[in-house]
Amino acid sequence: MRQIHWAGWLCGLFLFSVSFQPSAAPITFNTALPVSKGEGVMRVQAKYLRATDEPGPMNRELTVKALPIVGVWGITPRWTLFGIVPLLDKTMELNMPPGRTKRGVNGLGDVTAMVRYTAYSQDQAGRTFRIAPFAGIEMPTGEDDEQDALGPLPGSLQLGSGAWNPVVGIVTTAQSLKQEWGISTSYKFNNAANGFERGDEARLDLSYHQRIWMGGPADGLPHFLYTGIESNWIWQGKNRNNGQDDPDSGGNTLYLAPTLQYVTRRTVVETALQLPVVQNLNGNALKQDFIFTFSLRLNY
Amino acid sequence: MKKSILLTAVTLLWSATLFATGTQYSLRVNGLSCPFCAYGIEKKLIRTEGVESVTFDLEKGVVMVKVREGVTLTEAQLKQLVNDAGFTLRSMSEQPL
Repeated sequence: MRQIHWAGWLCGLFLFSVSFQPSAAPITFNTALPVSKGEGVMRVQAKYLRATDEPGPMNRELTVKALPIVGVWGITPRWTLFGIVPLLDKTMELNMPPGRTKRGVNGLGDVTAMVRYTAYSQDQAGRTFRIAPFAGIEMPTGEDDEQDALGPLPGSLQLGSGAWNPVVGIVTTAQSLKQEWGISTSYKFNNAANGFERGDEARLDLSYHQRIWMGGPADGLPHFLYTGIESNWIWQGKNRNNGQDDPDSGGNTLYLAPTLQYVTRRTVVETALQLPVVQNLNGNALKQDFIFTFSLRLNY
Repeated sequence: MKKSILLTAVTLLWSATLFATGTQYSLRVNGLSCPFCAYGIEKKLIRTEGVESVTFDLEKGVVMVKVREGVTLTEAQLKQLVNDAGFTLRSMSEQPL
């Protein structure tokens, strides 16, 4: 059963990568671009993850569908508040002694609250460069004691971790009217609850977006269409179950994601397909197939 | 007939002059790099008393603000609005309409 724990970090990175970008910027991670003081941005994403690559006899198949809702509020021109509310549907199919079995759960996951401070900004005509550290906490709002007919679900299939998990990081963005670069790095300290502790997570995210079309009203704000490539390197420590390391958990994964993004003055519609190009995982961990993201952002 | 046409033309010209009164401010704003970001400035400006329209030339980094007659926006006021939106006011000019 502990092999199923590996699904936990898939879900964890999947949700954290929801990110909290307020602007026309990376899709798979956060950005340093501004949200006006006293103004808000709302972002709704639909994410779909599949992980089916397992050589073992259990033939596990993990499917995660998520609808994270992200609210962003400009407290001051430099301080920004984020809230991420994830709705989750997790399903694991696997071979067990009675036969092919499906286990899963759906509902509210762990809510994350975060603040970002734009520590450095350099603005020029039609371009900007910003550096912003951020810090936050994932709160145990998701159920962590769900059960099915087979008994309690493993920690990784629960909606929440049951623990308070802090995260810190820094993001740098350079954007002009035609191009955008982004770099973000972060570390999440996962804590134990109910005998289960998900491994800590470190991330390094890069993005490049190129504007390929501009149109819209002649005297108003134009519409931009960007295409791009994003990469996410994610290291995950081993999970711990009742104080014991799970040898079939954690490792390194590198994703590449082609992206498409349509930006207007009030909305951003975007999509990305994250493909794991390197999966150096511990033990008999389940490998990912892809993560598909479709996202809508509204300036309100 | 000719008199009616002339009178109509004069009236229209007078009306156009009347409606065009006010001031246009041209703000050179640094950091504007996408329409979604720029909307933050538009929201700030359009809520300001007396502002009738806000238009953009993103390529040049210029924001044009039209205000009605009798309304004056100060540089300090505009600088604060642009700063609150997360950008930098580089310079500004104004001209009567």
